[in-house]
Amino acid sequence: MDFGHSAAEQAFAEEVRAFLRAHPPDIFPPDGTDAGYGSGAHSRPFTAALGERGWLSLTWPREHGGQERPMGFQLVLLEELAAAGAPFGPLAGCLQVAESIIRHGSATLQREILPQVARGHATFWQGYSEPGAGSDLLALETRARLDGDHWLLDGRKIWSSHAGIATYGTVLARTDPASTRSRGLSMLMVDNRLPGLELRPIRSLTGQVYHYEVFMDAVRVPRDWVLGQPGEGFGQLLHGLDTDRFWGRFYKAPFLRRILGLLVEYVRAERPDDAVARHRLAHAAVEIAALRALFQRAAWLIEQGLPATGPVSAAKVMADELGQRVLTLGMELLGPYGVLRAGSRGAKLRGEIEHQYQTSWGHTLAGGTSEIQRTTIAVRALGLPAEPRGRG
Amino acid sequence: MDLSFSPAQQLLQQSARAFLLQRCSPERVGFAADLWKEIATLGWPGLLISPELGGSGGSVADALALVGELGRACFPGPFIASAVVATIALGRAEGRRAHDLLAALALGERICTLALLEGSARLEPGRLNGRQLFVPDAHLATDVIVLGSGPAGPTALLLPMDRAGIAAHPLDSMTGDKLFELVFTDVPIRGEDLLGAPGEAWALLSPAVRVGALARSAEMAGAAQRVLELCIEHARVRVQGGRPIGAHQAIQHACADSYRDVESARWLTWEAEWKLATGRSGADAAVAAAKVYAGEAALRVARRAHQIMGAIGYSEEHPLHLFHKRILAASLDAGDATQHLDAVARSIGLA
Repeated sequence: MDFGHSAAEQAFAEEVRAFLRAHPPDIFPPDGTDAGYGSGAHSRPFTAALGERGWLSLTWPREHGGQERPMGFQLVLLEELAAAGAPFGPLAGCLQVAESIIRHGSATLQREILPQVARGHATFWQGYSEPGAGSDLLALETRARLDGDHWLLDGRKIWSSHAGIATYGTVLARTDPASTRSRGLSMLMVDNRLPGLELRPIRSLTGQVYHYEVFMDAVRVPRDWVLGQPGEGFGQLLHGLDTDRFWGRFYKAPFLRRILGLLVEYVRAERPDDAVARHRLAHAAVEIAALRALFQRAAWLIEQGLPATGPVSAAKVMADELGQRVLTLGMELLGPYGVLRAGSRGAKLRGEIEHQYQTSWGHTLAGGTSEIQRTTIAVRALGLPAEPRGRG
Repeated sequence: MDLSFSPAQQLLQQSARAFLLQRCSPERVGFAADLWKEIATLGWPGLLISPELGGSGGSVADALALVGELGRACFPGPFIASAVVATIALGRAEGRRAHDLLAALALGERICTLALLEGSARLEPGRLNGRQLFVPDAHLATDVIVLGSGPAGPTALLLPMDRAGIAAHPLDSMTGDKLFELVFTDVPIRGEDLLGAPGEAWALLSPAVRVGALARSAEMAGAAQRVLELCIEHARVRVQGGRPIGAHQAIQHACADSYRDVESARWLTWEAEWKLATGRSGADAAVAAAKVYAGEAALRVARRAHQIMGAIGYSEEHPLHLFHKRILAASLDAGDATQHLDAVARSIGLA
């Protein structure tokens, strides 16, 4: 058993830390809200700064301009960024779409988009959910039909994160009108500048905009801007889900460790003799360590190319529910100060706790609800019989 | 990063699982001397003993791999007390007595228990008086490591159980563990009985007890894994209302939560082992965290299992209660949650 980093990975971790010391997160202006997953705010300047160092294409094949580094480098990068509270909000999406384009993209997509991703100039939104297709994603109604050299895309997507400030979206649409459920779906890459695309910001309970509703009215998408073969969209989505969930949550453990550190500092300064607070913080530290160990296990399985559905889904559920508990603990420790927003008179810990507390209530829904994850674990990892489907 | 077991560990796990399946069903209550003899021929009690003394010179990781299987089987007997904690303490001690005992432990001829808890054993010049509580399997043990308070401070002693003045009185525990109170009445103590230097008991015992905590964590994770398997088997075949209860979300989600508990407890334990083995800073706190978490997580699995199994799990006919009680006992042994949380609190900067 070896839970450690290689010498090269350790050296890289040092390099990332040195970069973060020289470029403190505060100097990069955010352009999109921090959704609380641990990846901080959406910041194009910061994303570009990562791109300048070649850190957005660490693991890509050389033929696509990558460095062919082992996956461990990516883990190191995300963990260090999260521990420092850096604004790398779009990073997980960039990594996932790039991997998808490398694996399934046409030559056009590879040529057009990968260099932009590597430089940190492209960010992505996901067009999966629809008003009538949430946990039942296959009920989606967005359609695309071929019209010469283009797909004609019609439909409506919702809960697309940062869609209004991103450059491209990956849109799951039905391309075979005769098909039902998981067949006949395709994943289209949609340029935000295309005519017919309209974005409506949705203000979340935090008071900030994170999600958008996306209206697509006869959007003309070039024929080869499809990921994989037409009709294979669902298989591709499934293939990507485990890794998406992993890369979308892996940094939650170091993020929660950072939050815990803030709370420890607060208790040391403001209520040093509070034995109950001490006990609760120690207990939270134990659970965060357990979460990290579970993610390590999932990472190793993914790295080995072994099935990781069980550990990944379990880690996602645990990350999101533990996050809610840790932020709730934060609110309780701060007492009346907990609800004060960043910038308010009297705010403690830069008002970070209230924002992260609020975002945490979306995490058990996003990327597959905790209920969907538990069903996935039960049926796909533990082999329990699937619940009979309802009609319709 | 390499989260795989070595080929030797895999072989040990596979052969242990096969042996225990055949020779140690969970329904088998209590210890049997023949079983200890058999595991001695497999080399288990000597796993952590050096080859010069007849052991196989295995690592702590090897021992954890085995202990996980013992947990799965609800293996009765003082394996962790004798073959892990006492063995490590004896290995750290100088002297002929300790070495002779290790050689006998490796052969399965002797068993060494621990009298470290809740006691008042006082070491005076030439004799020991007082008592210690929660001494495991004193009825089988041939030797005991006793923690006594002496003029120089906490002092460890190695005594044969048949030394004059030692009396063992059984405690009656709901966990089924065989626990005893040892009463010492003017037990004659000679210089050679000292294990380590006077006043230095914890320098000798702490590393051993720490590995004991890790072993208990691995045991609980192994037991919880087996409990989850029992739940899944039951949920697949138990039909109510025309379908297996495992097709209901209420049951599925409980099993999913137990899966999370088992996996996270297991890998937190292995990460702590790695930190300890490689001398990483914070290794002690990592062991403490693993012990707290494995205890809580494994107990959640056991308690959920009672709900999934329904009434059969409440009966003595089903092995669930044995696993539940074993996990409970393990969670309280080698430092309970309060004690270990204190170590974690210190490690995060809360003095």
